[in-house]
Amino acid sequence: MTKEIQSDTYTPPPILSNSPKQDLKQGYEPLEGGCTLPNLINKLLKKPLSIVYELEMKNNVGKITCLLLLIATMSFSVFGIVVGTFSWDVQIWAAPLKIVFGLLFSGLICLPSLYIFTCMGGLDAKFSTVSGMLCALMALTGLLLIGFAPVVWLFSVSSTSTTFLGFLLIILWVICACFGLSLVFRSGHALGMANAGHFAVWGLIFLLVTLQMTTTLRPIIGSEEELFNFKEKKFFLTYWSDQVMEEQ
Amino acid sequence: MSMNPFANPLKNAAALCRGKKQLLTDWIEGSHRGSIPFCIALITLGCCSYGFTIGLRHGWEMASYVAIKLPFIIFLTLFINGMLNAMLSLALGSGIGFRKSFQFLLTGFAIMSIILGALSPISFFATLNMPKPGTLDDTTWHGANLLLHTSLIAYAGILAHSRLLHYVRDFADSPSAGTHTFLAWLTGNLFVGAQISWILRPYFVSPELEVEFLRVDPFDGSFYEAVFRAIRNVTNF
Repeated sequence: MTKEIQSDTYTPPPILSNSPKQDLKQGYEPLEGGCTLPNLINKLLKKPLSIVYELEMKNNVGKITCLLLLIATMSFSVFGIVVGTFSWDVQIWAAPLKIVFGLLFSGLICLPSLYIFTCMGGLDAKFSTVSGMLCALMALTGLLLIGFAPVVWLFSVSSTSTTFLGFLLIILWVICACFGLSLVFRSGHALGMANAGHFAVWGLIFLLVTLQMTTTLRPIIGSEEELFNFKEKKFFLTYWSDQVMEEQ
Repeated sequence: MSMNPFANPLKNAAALCRGKKQLLTDWIEGSHRGSIPFCIALITLGCCSYGFTIGLRHGWEMASYVAIKLPFIIFLTLFINGMLNAMLSLALGSGIGFRKSFQFLLTGFAIMSIILGALSPISFFATLNMPKPGTLDDTTWHGANLLLHTSLIAYAGILAHSRLLHYVRDFADSPSAGTHTFLAWLTGNLFVGAQISWILRPYFVSPELEVEFLRVDPFDGSFYEAVFRAIRNVTNF
């Protein structure tokens, strides 16, 4: 009898999928806790795909996108102020301004290609969803940069080498951007992207654009006579190597 | 999907990039009116905007010239090769006739133009970051500019044609005949397209040369002679 009852009520344990695609979709579920700024920050770090789910389901798309942009702007500003403490003077307000403008402008010029490349990868998402994904990338990257801000501050007060700090900032930016890019990559898979190769190319282009932006809006760290140097145009690798040579 | 592609252009352009078979089936079967003008509009818009960013390094005049010439190369190639493409596809047993082959190739170039159009803001940013011609290291920057745009155009072309191959294999009488037809089209278009682009030069304006719509000697020589000369110069053979 006991055995019969056991067999009737027995439910098999859930099958744990080993499929990598299944893992990539983990967390693609409705957003819990409402569409508020603290909740979005929390979910960006814990369950970022739930934000993409809301965007795709057209639940508060405008509000979520605006809040993500706000998170990105605030985070980049805070990070920029910490970067500005290296030189103080005008850089304390110029560095955050340049970082916020530079990164948002980079996102804006890369948005059309992100949409087309995700389409080429077979993703059937709306333009608003892809825009939201890009905002999520920016917001997550910004949040992670804030996490690194104390480290940057520590080095900015103890080091006098512009080259060293510049190198450190670039490394940190690439690390944080890779987290952001992996979020967009996972979102793409959750939404049905079949071919991720195109997205990898876009990720590379996005990184190159942001790195070039550091040279376009120079100087971001260190103090120079002019706030901007639009007259002398350089490729970022040339500029960086020039800086290293100068300091040596 | 709307019957007229112009009714919802963004949605149709995105569907084209995604490789929606139903959309192309409707276009090929002719049940959707306006597919050819829609592709022509996409090619014009995408190539014009990208061409503009190529020429911008040499000022507004050159930007306008390249914006006009880039879509013109595609239309001229399709016009000159139209008959040949249809004949080749029939001879290779794909069952794709004149109108369909034209529609296929137009669609392929439209996808390429969408990609180029989407890359235009990035190309614009790259151009803004390049020193003006005539300044220091002009030869290096000219080479870098040439390499950047050639790579981007080649990438867009490869992506668009891989999508086109997928379409042609689906629509041909047999997948292998579709592949053969596609390769024949590709060879013919590359062969003729390279010469047309040679005639319509300049685009990047080599250092020490003037900005002009066409060179004074547009029909002097060929693309292949120039490549042969370049190889001979490099190898000293």
